[in-house]
Amino acid sequence: MFVGLGAVVAIGGKNQESSQDSSELPEGGDESFLDVPLECVEIAGRSMLERMLERLVAIGVERVSILVEAKNSARIPPFRTSYSNVAVRVVRDLYPAMTQELAHFSQDEISHAFVSSANTYVEADLLDLFCFHREARRDVTSTFDKEGSLDLWVVDCARAQRGDLETFLHDASQDGAPKYFIRDYVNRLVDPRDLRRFATDILSRTCETGPSGQQMRPGVWMDDKAEVHRRARIVAPAYIGYASKVKADALVTRLSNIERDCCVDSGTVIEDSSILANTTVGICLDLCHAVASGNKLRNLERDVTVEIVDPNVMRFSSPSSKAANSNGRSAVDEVVLRKTQMPETWQLNNLIQE
Amino acid sequence: MPTRAPVIVMELPERLNHVEAKSFLNELEPLLQNDRPSVVLDCSQIKHMDSAGVEMLLYCLEQAMKRDGDLKLAAVSPASAVIMELMRIDRLFEVFETAEDAVRSFQLVAPPTTLQTQPWYATPQGLTDLKAAG
Repeated sequence: MFVGLGAVVAIGGKNQESSQDSSELPEGGDESFLDVPLECVEIAGRSMLERMLERLVAIGVERVSILVEAKNSARIPPFRTSYSNVAVRVVRDLYPAMTQELAHFSQDEISHAFVSSANTYVEADLLDLFCFHREARRDVTSTFDKEGSLDLWVVDCARAQRGDLETFLHDASQDGAPKYFIRDYVNRLVDPRDLRRFATDILSRTCETGPSGQQMRPGVWMDDKAEVHRRARIVAPAYIGYASKVKADALVTRLSNIERDCCVDSGTVIEDSSILANTTVGICLDLCHAVASGNKLRNLERDVTVEIVDPNVMRFSSPSSKAANSNGRSAVDEVVLRKTQMPETWQLNNLIQE
Repeated sequence: MPTRAPVIVMELPERLNHVEAKSFLNELEPLLQNDRPSVVLDCSQIKHMDSAGVEMLLYCLEQAMKRDGDLKLAAVSPASAVIMELMRIDRLFEVFETAEDAVRSFQLVAPPTTLQTQPWYATPQGLTDLKAAG
């Protein structure tokens, strides 16, 4: 008997843990730091969304629908690989669109589908999960790990479209319904701290997914067109992204990742930090235990976000022409920072006078 | 008998931009002209700092050190600490949680020092150590 398998991945939804108290946004959380959904942020060359797609495609999922809310439509990251069976749809409301998508799957004889939130990265054996679901003979199978429920389900497409999908999935997480326990690597991407953890896990090979680019020497991955000055020092493990530059006397150390189109200027130290795409870090600075994007700096040790107005210190850099490809739209270059009032936001003007 | 000037505690303004920094420096600079000035800057009110503010702090530290004194910071917020770390100026200052702690640090009595006129091995203790070492 033919069994079709599809997947619906939603961007912009919070995971279950945070959705219960979503009105209480933690101070200086991801919303105040980045205008891009965290799952769309590239880490070691590829976003969490793309890494999840890779896993779905690898097990032979016939069709993947990525649903993105209109407000995030311009922020879908460029995929490094072109997928013929992946479609991106911009929608107003996620749940009705997911229901509609499952109906389309059902019409096209795709009987089962994975439904997941893009900010839940799971390295479980998805085929085993699917077999578990089929053997349980239920409409939906939810998943959980040692920390609780996960935003990943397997659903029967025909049955899932009958009622309200949100209730349908929620009920599946209640007691009595079959649940699949995931022992493997899981990352619930809720705030920049999780982003940083994902980077360290990738670089230290704690998870299966690895950095993009080539391993130039043990533990040092460099993507195409990355330039490292001969007087700069890169301490493994580290990642230098596409077309990024690390200038003379700079030091990149302790599981740091420099994403695409970044520049680390002379004499600057990047330690235990993630420099997100299109960020230029100025001369002779110390950037430690932080996630930096454009002119914003999230210090994870002190749990504070700092906005730096002086372009000599930190700024957005223009993306290289080949950064985006045909499948997705360039995400980061279209980011416009909101003027939000944050309690711990600092503005630093003209800090370096040359 | 050598004496030390009293510790001066000053609260930095909420905005430490060019104008405020200049005005603050006008108040502080005469005090930095004392012999061995001991200054504590309370940073608890700072909400905004620009290059002029950072330069002012470095200038004050330099002036204090020229006269064998010191300038210490107190109640530095996490955001300002991040900026200072980023700019590598955090290690130049002693930082305390409260102004009281900073003042107390100036008042700690330093151990008495004696002028060393003889080489260490000429002292009885030095000879003992030398013999013990074989």
